[in-house]
Amino acid sequence: MSSGARSGPRIVTNTVEFPYRRSLGPVIGTFVAALARGQILGVRSGERVLCPPLEYDPDTGAATSGEFVAVGPVGTVRSWTWVSEPNARHPLDRPFAFALIQLDGAGTSLLHAVDAGGEGEGAMRTGLRVVPRFRAEPKGRTDDLAYFVPEGAETTDPGVVDGATLAAVGGEPRAPLEPVETMEFWSSLTYKEALSAASERYARSLLAGRLLGQRCPTCAKVYVPPRDFCAIDGIPLNEGDDLALPDRGVITNFTIVTPVKYPGQKETEPFVRVSVLLDEVDAPVGQRAGENDLPSPARRPGSEGAEGQRTGENDLPSPVRQPGSEGTEGQRTGENDLPSPVRQPGSEGAMMGLQPVVDVSNEEVRVGMRVEAVWLPEAERNADELGNRGWGSASGAITGWRPTGEPDLPVERYIDRVF
Amino acid sequence: MSGEPCAVIGIGQTHHKSKRLDVSLAGLVREAAARALADAGLDWPDIDAVVIGKAPDAFEGVMMPELYLADALGAAGKPILRVHTAGSVGGSTAIVASHLIHARRHRRVLAVAFEKQSEGNAQWGLAGGKSGGMGAGGIFAPWIRSYIRRSGAPEHIGWQVAVKDRLNALKNPYAHLKIADISIEKVRDSFMLWDPLHFLESCPSSDGACAIVLTDEAGGRDAAAAGRSPAWVAATAMRSEPTSFPGRDAVRPRAGVDCAHDLYRAAGITNPLADIDVAELYVPFSWYEPMWLEGHDITGPGGGWKLVESGETEIGGSFPVNPSGGVLSSNPIGASGMLRFAEAALQVRGQAGEHQVDGARTALGHAYGGGAQYFAMWIVKSSL
Repeated sequence: MSSGARSGPRIVTNTVEFPYRRSLGPVIGTFVAALARGQILGVRSGERVLCPPLEYDPDTGAATSGEFVAVGPVGTVRSWTWVSEPNARHPLDRPFAFALIQLDGAGTSLLHAVDAGGEGEGAMRTGLRVVPRFRAEPKGRTDDLAYFVPEGAETTDPGVVDGATLAAVGGEPRAPLEPVETMEFWSSLTYKEALSAASERYARSLLAGRLLGQRCPTCAKVYVPPRDFCAIDGIPLNEGDDLALPDRGVITNFTIVTPVKYPGQKETEPFVRVSVLLDEVDAPVGQRAGENDLPSPARRPGSEGAEGQRTGENDLPSPVRQPGSEGTEGQRTGENDLPSPVRQPGSEGAMMGLQPVVDVSNEEVRVGMRVEAVWLPEAERNADELGNRGWGSASGAITGWRPTGEPDLPVERYIDRVF
Repeated sequence: MSGEPCAVIGIGQTHHKSKRLDVSLAGLVREAAARALADAGLDWPDIDAVVIGKAPDAFEGVMMPELYLADALGAAGKPILRVHTAGSVGGSTAIVASHLIHARRHRRVLAVAFEKQSEGNAQWGLAGGKSGGMGAGGIFAPWIRSYIRRSGAPEHIGWQVAVKDRLNALKNPYAHLKIADISIEKVRDSFMLWDPLHFLESCPSSDGACAIVLTDEAGGRDAAAAGRSPAWVAATAMRSEPTSFPGRDAVRPRAGVDCAHDLYRAAGITNPLADIDVAELYVPFSWYEPMWLEGHDITGPGGGWKLVESGETEIGGSFPVNPSGGVLSSNPIGASGMLRFAEAALQVRGQAGEHQVDGARTALGHAYGGGAQYFAMWIVKSSL
């Protein structure tokens, strides 16, 4: 995780990884099983032999015969391309060719790697005769077939052998092959996301200890985080529509999730996620301003939330006071130094979804419970988990929401309001 | 319906299980497709175009599987089109295929949908690979709580749906879950997976595929003449809306209401409860049966759970829902929507075997997906 320079868009880096488990099926499963014997199998389909073998003829979709035929070991390069800078996911750690290789006896070509040796790309040509190299210690995977080399080339890689060497230790060549059933495929993807202008303002705001939303001037719905568009009216919004939001609200609904295990899952015990409707903004149609039943102002002088907010303001612009737009009209200075949320008839929303709770047991969480945000100390805040999508994650800035101890609000007023 | 009439003349599905380790992805879709072709009396070369659907690629980790599977589905040299609308995709895939017939673009279209959940982990996929995944149930649970409060439904309604669908699954040879001793007590006493949803009120994770063959009026009449009664597509509808916006009614999403009314209007249905003989609704969590009965205006507000409670949604009731066992009994996610559409067609063809609803002539197939934001529905009939 890293953040970009302050001047450009913030770059959030994500890596997602998963050990997928492939079911190989009867045909590829048999193909892989034979690799452990240093043997490459094709399958007969009509007059020709397909290698790699398939369950179906790729031209017609008709099922293949199930009759396996040993092909090669020598094959002919039918086409190729040179990879001069291999990456970590490539089959070789040195420059190599990807090639379509038609093994002797096969009617189709196998896409595989060719280690062209010291001569490198200069050794590659269409029509080149190549032979396979296998993993000396097969694992029941497709990459037990490691790569090909030009016919007559020496094997210098200690981990690989030719087919004859493997066949000598691979057991009785005519014994029935038990197809390999599954193969783990470790998938890893790293992607970088440049935060949009709206997400960037939200990120800066969170780092400064403030929540930021955006109010559509047409329909008065308030989005958290800002999106720079209104999903209902289909119109662009901008930072002038941003709205500083209180870090207090009411739990409108919740889920207690029993976690399942998966790679990267850190949760082991049932955990709660709540929807929080933030104070002061929301006054649904039919409810006039001033009729809200909130018991107290959102920002209490001296509260921890206010302390955190004040601390952040020295080094970051406020959400509504971007560089170059000093002195936004209507912005008060002083204790709060932020525009007060403006409650207007018809304003609706300021909802944060999928929020964690703190200082409360799962069983105590309920609709109507009053809560306030618990901010991380400023030095520990980060925007690593933010992205351009989402339902109001404040991960990295807010550890969760804790009960304020105030009386509950009426369930029926809030229970339908879920992120 | 304007345009060329569309008939479903072939239906195939796999035996759905938690792990189909015996087949590759290609083998899985081919198992369903071959059954559909055989049912239609056709072979691979007879197909003009293929439409394929599945849920997010992250579930199996095969990016753009429609490319890898094109050859496996006999699509070399033919158009192949992939559809994606999250969990509703199986339904959308069938609808897109039907439109190719309605538009007279193709005469015989193969539609296939699948998921092989055992190759990955759906909760991991839905969480974008991050910790603390909610799972689909975690997203729906608050809306279910909201529905229960709004409708005043007693808590046993959810248990009752869970029992009904599992009993129906015992009559479906392809269904995944076969819980012979299912009971209200067993559902109630199963652990709380996503409060207020118990474990047995939730769908399983399944490997499986579904396929249908669609053709034009001449093809449908030929099938009928050959003794293979077709299901005629009377109407289709799709709608979507954003996952989240202030004031959204997630219990009764506007897209779902509009989709249903569009469908009824196109099919000439004025009273869905009376005019539809059987419905296959997408119910991955028990409470979604009454929620969609109300959310699609099949009943009025609060009428859904009362219909469930009265037993009228059982096979033999006045409005049978999910005689196949539904998503609660088999959930190969991408295929689950098409299974609803296919099961509706099976009913009006009179070929649903032990779970056949007597006299089914008009059936509703339904799917929803994402955060209850994608909807796909069709009405199929026994006659044109």
